Amino acid sequence: MKGHKGGRAIRNLGHILLILAAISIWLVPLWWTVITAIRPVSETLSLTPQWITHRPTWENFKRAFNLAPWGRYYLNTFQVVVGTFLLQMIIIIPAAYAFARLTFPGRDLLFYVLLVQLMLPAAALIFPNYTTIKTLGLVDTKVALMLPYAASAFGTFLLRQAFRTVPQELEDAALIDGCNWLGLIRHVYLPLIKPVFIAFALNSIIYHWNEFLWPLVVINSPSKRTLTLGLAMAFKSQETGFDWPLMTATLLIVISPLLMLFVVFQRWFIRIYAQSGIKG
Amino acid sequence: MRRFLVVFSLILGVGMGLVAEQVNLTFYYPVSVAGPLAKVIEAMVAEFNATHPNIQVTPVFAGGYNDTLLKVQAAIMGGTPPDVAILLSTDLFTLRAIDAIVPLDEFIEADVDGQKYIDDFFPALMANSLLEGNIWSIPFQRSTPILYYNKDLFREVGLDPERPPTTWDELVEYGLKLTQRAPDGSVLRWGLEVPFSGGFIWNFEAFIYQTGCPGCNEVKIVSDDGTEVYFTSQHVLVALRFFRDLSVYYKIMPNGYINWGTVPSDFLAGRAAMIYHSTGSLTHIRNNAPFEFGVAFMPGLSCYGTPTGGGNFYIFKAIPESHRKAAWTFVRWMTSPEKVAEWSIKSGYIAVRRSAYSTELMSAFTSEHPEYLVARDQLAYAHKEFACYNRAKVTKILFDQLARAILGEASPEEALEEAQRQANAELEPFRK
Repeated sequence: MKGHKGGRAIRNLGHILLILAAISIWLVPLWWTVITAIRPVSETLSLTPQWITHRPTWENFKRAFNLAPWGRYYLNTFQVVVGTFLLQMIIIIPAAYAFARLTFPGRDLLFYVLLVQLMLPAAALIFPNYTTIKTLGLVDTKVALMLPYAASAFGTFLLRQAFRTVPQELEDAALIDGCNWLGLIRHVYLPLIKPVFIAFALNSIIYHWNEFLWPLVVINSPSKRTLTLGLAMAFKSQETGFDWPLMTATLLIVISPLLMLFVVFQRWFIRIYAQSGIKG
Repeated sequence: MRRFLVVFSLILGVGMGLVAEQVNLTFYYPVSVAGPLAKVIEAMVAEFNATHPNIQVTPVFAGGYNDTLLKVQAAIMGGTPPDVAILLSTDLFTLRAIDAIVPLDEFIEADVDGQKYIDDFFPALMANSLLEGNIWSIPFQRSTPILYYNKDLFREVGLDPERPPTTWDELVEYGLKLTQRAPDGSVLRWGLEVPFSGGFIWNFEAFIYQTGCPGCNEVKIVSDDGTEVYFTSQHVLVALRFFRDLSVYYKIMPNGYINWGTVPSDFLAGRAAMIYHSTGSLTHIRNNAPFEFGVAFMPGLSCYGTPTGGGNFYIFKAIPESHRKAAWTFVRWMTSPEKVAEWSIKSGYIAVRRSAYSTELMSAFTSEHPEYLVARDQLAYAHKEFACYNRAKVTKILFDQLARAILGEASPEEALEEAQRQANAELEPFRK
């Protein structure tokens, strides 16, 4: 009896150690980032790693804030991320429904053609996309940042698969009760596939929040720059070696809202990812 | 009434003439040294706009050098090239291959002082602008590697802090003294660190040029037209053997890849007693070194030698004639002696024109910080930076083969022959 209890304690201890190890993988780089951002430049040059700082300073953040109008860049990134997502919703929900439930000639072929998009890396499409944007007269606009992603093959594929898991009988019942198509999507399909839907939303938001290359190519005006373009100002010091304190302070300014969002909603995030089985 | 009409239409005509003459230029620029340099550029452009009512330049920050080149290429394919841009001086062949830029000779000849202006640039900085008998770009933000050394550590091991090494032999001798090992054999401090990472052969180039003869400029690793490379030449071989021996035989330098970005940190932390790094790092090192340091020419075998690096102004082809002229006015203004001096002081790049050093601003600055003159004086031994068609690919080929030799996977001879063979294949399409 006693031995059994001891075994359990050891097992629990093992679990705790395992969890601590897992946490530290995530926490150590974050801790290092924070510490580097608040230490004086001279301290980053110490021979031995310093895990704490004795002379915390805001100097690096002051320098980082002076680099760029971060408020404006936040607003721009926010607009682009939300705009892209809304555009995607308008296009991929009907598309996914059509591929999942309607029968029409060439449906499967069309679907496979769409899937080809999944296999092309976004960087390979920069030149053709730029030409299209130029023809539409949209260079240096935020719409140009959203448009190439409006018809997301990944989103269409994901929602189509999810829609197919919804029993046909539910749709029939709703239609018999006089529900129209929009109502059908809103009240029957979307609630049932909520985890998949939210997983896609997160994916889209994170991707567009972090995007660098496409905004770099399309945006010219300083007032339309996104956060990632601002970050580049701190990170592109390729000729002179790295200014770690400035880089980390800038990084923290840019990621802190997302980080806070994650801390606040972490339970919810994890549940959704666990349910949908999508890797981030 | 009639008189009124005449006057009115005159005013209108002149007014419209002025409106028509207003030229709007787009200017792409990269930032690749630490600090808020985008703001410095924007302020300089604002000053230009304020003093040139007929020209409005819009500065567009475009990331690092490679990002800027990508953005330029996309804009050209979309039919809206920028009017003027700062790109690597070595991007010349890439830009020529897509016929993106115009030669500047026409503008230079049209200016009364055009030839004088060109002759005022340090010839070594101009070398990368020349192709097919034309001048294609104007130097702006340029640098060379130089030797930084820790004077405190020199004293500690009994070396004269005012006598930096001048030859390869001295470099090894000093390096052996400065390298410090723990009793278990692990290295506490390296005598020397020379960046070697990321497909970047800039610092290695210096060793090649240091095998030349004094006063001559005949160490060539690439033909003038950029279609042939000479990787198997004795100069490259001697340089590679020595570069390998620094880490493999003398063990005064870490073996393998040495990260460009962390070398200045190692120097400032006292982990490396001597380093080769960009002149662009001088301000960063001066502001942060907790010890006395010196700056000197990189030691040579038979002669000092260094490549140049950095970015030049280019003017684009698919723009109206009026834009090209306005762009030239802008480039001339940005490279006036006063602006060159201002930019050099704020950025840490070499002032690209001789006359910039006699401006009040610059002479006040250099009399206080004479170390900034070392890079200028080393320019007498500078060569153009390695550049050819398909440069990114060819550079990568050479880097990979150098790495094989340094890591002991191939002999220097084998590695260079392999590099030559692969480079030939890449350059074949560009030979006429």
